[in-house]
Amino acid sequence: MTSNLWKYLKHHGQPFIGLVLILILGTLLSPHATDGTIVFLSSGNLSDVLLQQTEIGIIALAMTFVIIGAGIDLSVGSVLALSTCIGALMLTTWNQPIIVAIGAALLAGALVGALNGFIITRIRLQPFVMTLAAMIGVRGFTKWMTGNVNVDLAFGDSPSGRFAELFSSKPFAIALWVLLAVVAHLILTRTVYGRYLRAIGENEKAAAYTGLPVRKVRLAAYIGCGLMAALAGLIHAARSHQGNPNDGVGYELDAIAAVVIGGTALAGGRGSIIGTVIGTLVLGLLTNVLRLHMVDSNLELMIKAVIIIAAVWLQRRGSGLHGEL
Amino acid sequence: MWLRILLLFVAGGFTVSCSDSQPSPYRYMVVFSQCNNSEPYRAAQNAEMKRLWATQPDVRLVVMDAQQDSVRQIAQIETAIRLKPQLLIVAPNERVPLTEVMGRAKAAGIAVICLERDIVNPDYYTTWIKVDNYAIGQILGQYVVDYLTKKNGEPRGQIVELAGLKGVEAEIKRKNGADDLWKKYPKIEIVTEAVANWSQSLAKDRMTEILSAVPKIDVVYGRNDPMAVGAYLAARERGREKEMIFVSIDGLAGDSGGVHQVEEGILSATCIYPLCVDKAVEVGARILHEPGFVSEKSYTMPSTLITAQNASTYYK
Repeated sequence: MTSNLWKYLKHHGQPFIGLVLILILGTLLSPHATDGTIVFLSSGNLSDVLLQQTEIGIIALAMTFVIIGAGIDLSVGSVLALSTCIGALMLTTWNQPIIVAIGAALLAGALVGALNGFIITRIRLQPFVMTLAAMIGVRGFTKWMTGNVNVDLAFGDSPSGRFAELFSSKPFAIALWVLLAVVAHLILTRTVYGRYLRAIGENEKAAAYTGLPVRKVRLAAYIGCGLMAALAGLIHAARSHQGNPNDGVGYELDAIAAVVIGGTALAGGRGSIIGTVIGTLVLGLLTNVLRLHMVDSNLELMIKAVIIIAAVWLQRRGSGLHGEL
Repeated sequence: MWLRILLLFVAGGFTVSCSDSQPSPYRYMVVFSQCNNSEPYRAAQNAEMKRLWATQPDVRLVVMDAQQDSVRQIAQIETAIRLKPQLLIVAPNERVPLTEVMGRAKAAGIAVICLERDIVNPDYYTTWIKVDNYAIGQILGQYVVDYLTKKNGEPRGQIVELAGLKGVEAEIKRKNGADDLWKKYPKIEIVTEAVANWSQSLAKDRMTEILSAVPKIDVVYGRNDPMAVGAYLAARERGREKEMIFVSIDGLAGDSGGVHQVEEGILSATCIYPLCVDKAVEVGARILHEPGFVSEKSYTMPSTLITAQNASTYYK
């Protein structure tokens, strides 16, 4: 039993082992508060990490679907910025109720995802190229729409103030992430859609020959990705109390990093939501450990890079792909 | 393998933490949350902050760089709050986004000093060390009016403005100070304003575009020295740098600072924008060491106009 568990962890549980090790090291190395408590393990600190990771975490859930389907979505950071600005404009300049602002932001994200998915599946443009173009185009549109000026949310008892209070609250944002993770896990593991997606990611041609609805499945993954990026944008707008056309730069890379660290194969066909959640937590906790030790913030980026390389290397070891290009 | 990798990080990256197990020589922790280390003005602030706090042996100073990212700065301050420093000095990247988290720091019993830029709610900081940006805008505005009157026989001319990050107090007031003055002169026209986010390279790009579109420019008003220098470099590439003057704000010391650039004739004028650090350290040290000390709600630092006439006096 023990050896079976070890074998499973050795081949599939590297992200989990990484998470546990970071938790142990974070605890051992944590500074202590004046009352002697371990700062790293304090509920306040750990919930800070969860809140700080909700945006990347939510995007990474959807990115997992896209990557399992052998795709990639580089436009999520720009979609996040678009969503922050549409939400903020709706709530302030255009005086719309909260529900309309949320709906408009989510719709915008879904539309970008649909455009990505449509062109990738119908016109057969490479996902990298299409979503790169969307990343540039959506960023440009957002800057044009706002005049490249931030749209500040109000404080207090106004629609934008109430929106910011709700979406930036720890319980709401964290619960939303957990709920979405559970739903995403169930879709990927317990539905026909999940099975189709993995089959398509493993071998698209074979899936098409067997009659799977390849286009629809991949289109849905991209729509979901745009939708989740927009949802993350609403949390971002609430946390930063503004819509900012320049925000979200590099978020696509953080989301991809979380997915990869979580054990999802970039070539498609293989991956899990649990792994992605763990990958997101690994990145967040690592950053937190470094910040608690006041390590230079530039070092965070360097360490993230090493972690990504190590994770992919371990994946290859686990799947017996040594040296394979 | 994860263990080996992580131990490598631990061995390499946590030398600071190893000292935590030793009795700390520091009685106080001061966290300075800097909005963006890469601006020369901010780098000068950091250097001065480290130099001045180093004279206080019981204080450990930690500088965090938000890299011009408000969400990153919020997260850094959230982590800093968990460490319970006695003093938090914040140069906010933007007014609105940083307001709430600074309020949380103050509510956690940490003295909070707002450095140079403010936030929306004054209740969320202990004191604000500020410069009167509106007055600086007016000083530079008047300098431009005098220049145009001398050049054209009356206050008449075309001005290009290069804006910093929109929404921050400095950008808003530096703009309004000058613009409100120029509104009194109908023949002074602001032909365009480009946002360059305090960056020299962005300003150069924006100015290159403007030079293609605007045939005659009398004055470039950069809301900081690097943006004005970026505009100068773009104009020089087009051979048009003599057509216009460049005025701005910062007036940093040193060979690459604005005062020297006035001496060199690159800038026509710059307003010294005090680093505010000396006052912040003075007030911060009193908060730490004098239990009964109650700071004023704000301290305003004076500014000076630097032109070719007095640049050599201030250059160091």
